[in-house]
Amino acid sequence: MSKSYKIKVNGQHELAVDASTSTLLEAMEAAEIETHYHCRNGFCGACRTQLIQGEVTYINEPLAFVRPGECLACCCIAASDLEINH
Amino acid sequence: MSYSTFNKTQSNPLTEPMFFGNSVNVARYDQQKHSIFEKLIEKQISFFWRPEEVDVSRDRVDFANLTASEKHVFISNLKYQTLLDSVQGRSPNIAFLPIVSIPELETWVETWSFFETIHSRSYTHILRNLFTDPSEVFEDIVINTEIQKRATDISSYYDDLIFYTQLWQTHGEGEITIDGETHNVTMRNLKKKLFLCVNSVNALEAIRFYVSFACTFAFAERDLMEGNSKIIRLIARDENLHLVSTQQIINLWQYGHDDPEMKEIADELQDEALAIFMKAVEQEKEWAHYLFRNGSMIGLNEEILCQYVEYIANMRMEAIGYDSPFKQRSNPLPWMNKYLVSDNVQVAPQEAEITSYLVGQIDSEVSASDLGDFEL
Repeated sequence: MSKSYKIKVNGQHELAVDASTSTLLEAMEAAEIETHYHCRNGFCGACRTQLIQGEVTYINEPLAFVRPGECLACCCIAASDLEINH
Repeated sequence: MSYSTFNKTQSNPLTEPMFFGNSVNVARYDQQKHSIFEKLIEKQISFFWRPEEVDVSRDRVDFANLTASEKHVFISNLKYQTLLDSVQGRSPNIAFLPIVSIPELETWVETWSFFETIHSRSYTHILRNLFTDPSEVFEDIVINTEIQKRATDISSYYDDLIFYTQLWQTHGEGEITIDGETHNVTMRNLKKKLFLCVNSVNALEAIRFYVSFACTFAFAERDLMEGNSKIIRLIARDENLHLVSTQQIINLWQYGHDDPEMKEIADELQDEALAIFMKAVEQEKEWAHYLFRNGSMIGLNEEILCQYVEYIANMRMEAIGYDSPFKQRSNPLPWMNKYLVSDNVQVAPQEAEITSYLVGQIDSEVSASDLGDFEL
């Protein structure tokens, strides 16, 4: 089942993302936005992203500390329309 | 407050702070105050590897063909990493175990340090392969002034905490004069020293390793020293996990999820913690300068490496709630990420692709179709 959401990145890119097929990080990569990551596995926290508006769901539980208003792009998917700063 | 290896005071580990509460007695993990440390232990153990599994024999040929300046880069980095892991292989145990108060964190500290000893053994594995007698390299670590400068900074916060803990354990709180010097041992002071020490370790795990990681992977990009690069990838994966643990501790304090006094101290010493971080950044840039003093190597020079240090530092400082101090927002070494992705790490020769497997894992999922051709 496809779950399509709109994601606004860094206040300039508007992406239409199918949350059932890609993580937030993969969605940004597909849109050729410069991404920051290391482990892609939720434990290093290098993909830390500011979550300005909306909700995400984690497909893998992150081990890095997720501070309020942040999400880890490598292991979460959109659960609503989002506005993020990466 | 002398330390007891089995504290007979009945205490509830669920209400103990991470440090400076009742020392741990029963190593139990059925209930946990901060379950994140148990998850880190599980992850770390699933990463288990042995240096001898990685074949480094081709590196000897590659090494012989490196230019003199490249050899200097390669060996200097190995020396520096040997220093870092020598410190990390023992210090968390000596500094944190006597004051830790919850079992899951105690075990995490032990697991963490143990993995640093694997790293230390892997440097010997690499060097033994490159040199018939690696003594000269090891002996230089305590003589080399560039390395010494860093060693002093890295170990001083640990040493300070360890010394004060020892005073507190033998004399209790109060003013204690040793060799004509008076030390004011109070719980507040001990906690301050702990806070600074964890911040210094955090800076170590966060950026100190990355200059040499970058050099190693720059060699690997040219298909050189690949055995060494495989080992360093495994080390980088472990170090990422260690970094997360110190970030977790600092954040738990900052958000008041643990000892409320540590939250006060985190606010009070915010600038000092920042200074520790900035000093580490400066030292790493100086180290980059030292590495390339005889010339750069293909794909890497002092300037790009310093930009990378700033890029990494921004990322690491945001993780513990500081504003990013540097302008470097984009990654100057994009190829680094390829080596830092944990799924690309090769743990066994037959496992070139996937690493997130557990040894001896049993697939317990049975679907109806598995029994489709079964008849009574």
